[in-house]
Amino acid sequence: MATVALIGNPNTGKSSLFNALCGGQARVGNYPGVTVEHKTGRMRLGSTSHKSIELVDLPGTYSLSARSADEAVSVEVLSGEMPGLARPDAVIVILDATNLERNLYLLSQVLELGLPTLVALNMWDRLESEGIAIDPKSLSHSLGVPVVCTSASKRMGVADLQSALGELLESAESSQSAREQHQPASLASTSFPEPFRRCVDELALWFDSQGCRLPRFQIERLLIDDSQAHSYRVIPKVLTSEVTERISQAREQLASEGVAIPLFETRARYAWIKQRVAGVIERKPRERRASLSDQIDRWLTHRWFGLLFFVVLMFLIFQSITWFASWPMDGIEFATQWIGQRIESMMAPGPLRSLLVDGIIAGVGSVLVFLPQIAILFFFIAILEDSGYMSRAAFMMDKFMSILGMSGKSFLPLMSSFACAIPGIMATRTIENRRDRMVTILIAPLMSCSARWPVYVLMVSAFVPNRSVMGGWIGAQGAVLFAMMALGALVSIPVAWLLQRFVFPGEPSTFIMELSSYKWPSLRVVLMRVWERVLAFLARAGSLILVTSVLIWAAAYFPGDHGPLDIATAKLEAEQAIPDADPEKQQALETQINQLKSEMISQSYLGTAGDWIEPIVRPLGWDGKIGVAVLASFPAREVIVATLGTIYSLGAGQDENSQGLAAQLRSATWPDGRPVYTLATACSIMVFFALCAQCVSTLVTIRRETNSWRWPIFSFVYMTALAYAGAWIVFNLMSFW
Amino acid sequence: MSIPRPTNAVPVEYLAPEAEGLVVDLCGEEKNVHRLEELGIRCGCKIRMLSPGEPCLLAIEGKKMCLRLGASAGILVHPLTP
Ligand SMILES: Nc1nc2c(ncn2[C@@H]2O[C@H](COP(=O)(O)OP(=O)(O)OP(=O)(O)O)[C@@H](O)[C@H]2O)c(=O)[nH]1
Ligand SMILES: [Mg+2]
Repeated sequence: MATVALIGNPNTGKSSLFNALCGGQARVGNYPGVTVEHKTGRMRLGSTSHKSIELVDLPGTYSLSARSADEAVSVEVLSGEMPGLARPDAVIVILDATNLERNLYLLSQVLELGLPTLVALNMWDRLESEGIAIDPKSLSHSLGVPVVCTSASKRMGVADLQSALGELLESAESSQSAREQHQPASLASTSFPEPFRRCVDELALWFDSQGCRLPRFQIERLLIDDSQAHSYRVIPKVLTSEVTERISQAREQLASEGVAIPLFETRARYAWIKQRVAGVIERKPRERRASLSDQIDRWLTHRWFGLLFFVVLMFLIFQSITWFASWPMDGIEFATQWIGQRIESMMAPGPLRSLLVDGIIAGVGSVLVFLPQIAILFFFIAILEDSGYMSRAAFMMDKFMSILGMSGKSFLPLMSSFACAIPGIMATRTIENRRDRMVTILIAPLMSCSARWPVYVLMVSAFVPNRSVMGGWIGAQGAVLFAMMALGALVSIPVAWLLQRFVFPGEPSTFIMELSSYKWPSLRVVLMRVWERVLAFLARAGSLILVTSVLIWAAAYFPGDHGPLDIATAKLEAEQAIPDADPEKQQALETQINQLKSEMISQSYLGTAGDWIEPIVRPLGWDGKIGVAVLASFPAREVIVATLGTIYSLGAGQDENSQGLAAQLRSATWPDGRPVYTLATACSIMVFFALCAQCVSTLVTIRRETNSWRWPIFSFVYMTALAYAGAWIVFNLMSFW
Repeated sequence: MSIPRPTNAVPVEYLAPEAEGLVVDLCGEEKNVHRLEELGIRCGCKIRMLSPGEPCLLAIEGKKMCLRLGASAGILVHPLTP
């Protein structure tokens, strides 16, 4: 099976093209740095002998001298160093037709890899409005490789691209050892200065004599890039010191011969580009009038107005999530209760019925209720991402982040951590500066991810009065929710400052970023993003949350003889089935059941564990049950809702059982009859969840991205300490007040 | 087009909003200059200032870039009078 890689500058439509070619579901968004790892998909070419092709979508890169971790992925895949992936048999280079010269820079490097290459001239639909005309035939002639015009997002030119790819692979196969021989007519590197080329020849001989064959292109990179660059990673460890020695000698030699490393490279390549595009591209002189996009940018990137716009936008999004989601949420809550009641009416009381109703339905169901919220949140995020606004927000935030010694580049990963910290931490790969990247990774889990929503919404809907202020425009509940969302971000400011001051001292970072063009968000992209997250949420509910719910149920059910409770329940149900039963008898039975229930739960393993934990969590205003539920949610924070659902379903009185979790929480009491949950307790729980590192997958991702266990342990410790302290302060302040 | 003499050159930060300039020199550490050139900011290209300051917003050959280079590199432009 042939492997074909898609490469190009950031935000040129690689992932869109990947999706169009192989029906894949790669993430698409209108800002640079959406894709940060390689993604493979299968594609069929109809008429050729190649039955199926493995297509690889790559992170965007401006050049093959990788400076950031995402660019390194692209270079690794192209040079065949990526574990588990064969070296590509061909490359499709995607060029943004509206910015041809700059995009050709990368192509000039890719051509030197000696792989069969095909050019996709993407964004073809936007050429006319930009006043640019390109003749693809003469471009193809001048570059010496096939050129196909495409509009990936509109799925135009995809069939042409497929047939061109088929032809390319066929001709590559028919000419023996095509990989080595494939060379277009002209390469930029042939115009590199003579001394440099001689130097590369000498080094190539030396590498051969050491039994380490490096392609010419890679030796050139070693000579040109600085020693931090990716190209140094390919050298075998035993040779490293000698190679460094030889290279610095070679550089001195070249400098004395007047070769300016590394700048001669860019000069040579741009000279090559100038020759290639001569007579191929035509630009209509642009009017000097500021375009609509410029005018929008003047406002959206304005020092104060831009910031205000951002905050108001976020606030409106959170408000509307609470508005839009309430109706479907009620629906799901009703459905889960209905299923629970069905099961109760069909089965006699006993452990199995309790497992189904109290364990699985009350546990998983109470998390599923939040599915509409997640879907709506991602709907808005996807619209922001695909409109082009995100890079503007990053630009604006740079002013502020540079005060903390960071840059606007960190903003996009942090923003995406508001959805989920895992893709957020992955997205830090786009940050070149190592210190910036580390600080961003360590504060990303503080951003209020969507798994915190269920906790906040549960607490807010149960304990914050549903009042509206400012003429009904702002709900008190929405405002508290927004405050909780903002809390993590606010706390991350001093944390980031301390980290960059004391843990990672170093050079302040610079900031260079391309802004994407505005466009109307594509419905397909938006819906795909929502769908992807909905599936992820359901998968988690069906695995991790299901398992914890069952475990918590078992801990709260065993040990203990449930015989008397089951008999009493059966009696009550029989009584309720009689049309005009004795209400007093029912009342007595209910009291007996409630008492038995609370006895059973306090005798259970969970009850015992609660007694142990209670002294630790008491200062936060929590009882043992909350303590156990919070402890159980350290693997994944949304589990708290499921565990509370199970605990209170097992322990709840008969009346509240039919009213949902919020009502059950409101009626929970201390042994002396005071309510467990006050506004202060609810806030202390929310603050704890806002700041705590309760997500194993995040910690594992930190481990993978930093290559050390030190940083996940560090994150866990500092965030848990912060969470405890924060919850304590809030509880005490609010109880006092 | 005659190449303007570098003596007229000013750092790009000094361009007024909507003013245009021709890049005449990139200065600073070589690897930073190399990066700028890879990103398409190179001698001979036209820059239009959209929003000055730190960071500033520039239009370079029809694409918008934001930039805060600090002391790491500098872009010298020859202002073009409209
Ligand atoms: N007008 C137009 N827009 C396009 C075209 N192809 C892609 N886009 C849009 O360009 C944006 C970027 O698309 P992606 O496919 O995410 O780009 P990418 O190259 O994978 O980006 P990175 O992964 O960040 O490097 C999206 O908003 C697309 O909808 C096209 O042919 N025409
Ligand atoms: Mg992509």
